[in-house]
Amino acid sequence: MTNLLNMETESIVIRRAIDGDERALRSLWARHAPHIDMVVRRLVGGDPDVAADIAQEVWIQIFRALPSYRGDSQFSTWAHRIAVNRTLNALRKTRRLANLETEVKEDSASVEPDNDRSFVAQSIEEAASKLSPGARAVFMLHDVEGYTHEEIATELGITTGGSKSQLFKARAKLRKLLAHLVDVKDVGLQRKDTEHVAPAY
Amino acid sequence: MWDYNARIQNMSHLPTERLAALVDEVPTSSELAHITGCDECARARAVFRALAEMAVTESTRIGSPLTRWETLAPVLVSDGVIDTGRGSPFRRHTVRRPWVQAAAALFLLAGGVAAGRYTAGASTFGSGKPTTIANTDSLRTFHSIDDARTVQAQSQLLYQTATAYLAQNDTGSLATDSPSAMRARLAALDRAREVMGKALNEAPYDPVINGYYLTTIGQREATIRQLNTVLPASMRSISY
Repeated sequence: MTNLLNMETESIVIRRAIDGDERALRSLWARHAPHIDMVVRRLVGGDPDVAADIAQEVWIQIFRALPSYRGDSQFSTWAHRIAVNRTLNALRKTRRLANLETEVKEDSASVEPDNDRSFVAQSIEEAASKLSPGARAVFMLHDVEGYTHEEIATELGITTGGSKSQLFKARAKLRKLLAHLVDVKDVGLQRKDTEHVAPAY
Repeated sequence: MWDYNARIQNMSHLPTERLAALVDEVPTSSELAHITGCDECARARAVFRALAEMAVTESTRIGSPLTRWETLAPVLVSDGVIDTGRGSPFRRHTVRRPWVQAAAALFLLAGGVAAGRYTAGASTFGSGKPTTIANTDSLRTFHSIDDARTVQAQSQLLYQTATAYLAQNDTGSLATDSPSAMRARLAALDRAREVMGKALNEAPYDPVINGYYLTTIGQREATIRQLNTVLPASMRSISY
């Protein structure tokens, strides 16, 4: 009931926003900026100035495209898709993603050497800033945003195999960077008592 | 031929990236057998799963916005996304146009004056003297959108005024002298208002439909006032 009410209210706000009502546009921005800006921040990585510039472009694009919003999906889902597309386009323009295909092809099977032994990340966002742009994009899209490898391949112009390769490599590096947060110490102890039984995860 | 299963069973550990893949892929039987017998690989697999759970949680995390409305708003104004009342390419087909509002306001003002004079028993458009209308330049060229819209609004007002004049003075085509004729006209205008109201709901910013709707409302109001002048006080309509 509350959701229906919210959706109805939001659709009224969206209609007013399409009419150019500044208060309605600002209301949409205020409601969704924390999430949309976070998507941009995660995909861009460590440079806050670049992220802020891209986030501005994203919002302008969202509002320009507003008359084409049909209400088939929630506004947040629709805006999220624009945010991802626009951010990836912007990263391509700044050449941050330009070499992704090459990056994928040249990857060896091993985890790349860890040059950040002294770096201790406090969050996934912070740790992911140490990934290559391509690996970060794939990890964020797959594990955080819930995209499939097929969708990622389409978005980034790579193969699904390349997407998987980047993802597994990203996870391997993040495991090291976030070891202090995600390390599991008692798996072996549990398993020793139940030999030949797969541990419960 | 490389025997992956044999290698898995004999190797010390599964490759790290394979363990990372097992977050969302199903291990083969030999991989499962290895994990079952290897504390380190079992732990690594659990760590990757914990990492995946962190990632899911990350998707719901929100941070301070990167954007500021004070920075966005000027760009949206210059793009025409925010309506500043000067018209906008962004809303070319969908938005309320200022000149429609201006025309409506002028029309209602003129209608109110005309109806008031009519109700008071005065001639709305002069006492038998020819009505002077503004000299319009039919071949006029426009220098701006605002210029064109102003002339369009003036023309619309002129059209509405002429229509109202004909409704009052052209008695040959419309008998307005009997209450029954006025009631018939009022009933017809009510039906027209209903139809135009529906059309207005479907196309709220269409200038032609707006014009028809406003004309209908104005004529209905004038007819009610006219009817009230010929009916006894107890039978007068108070509803417009």
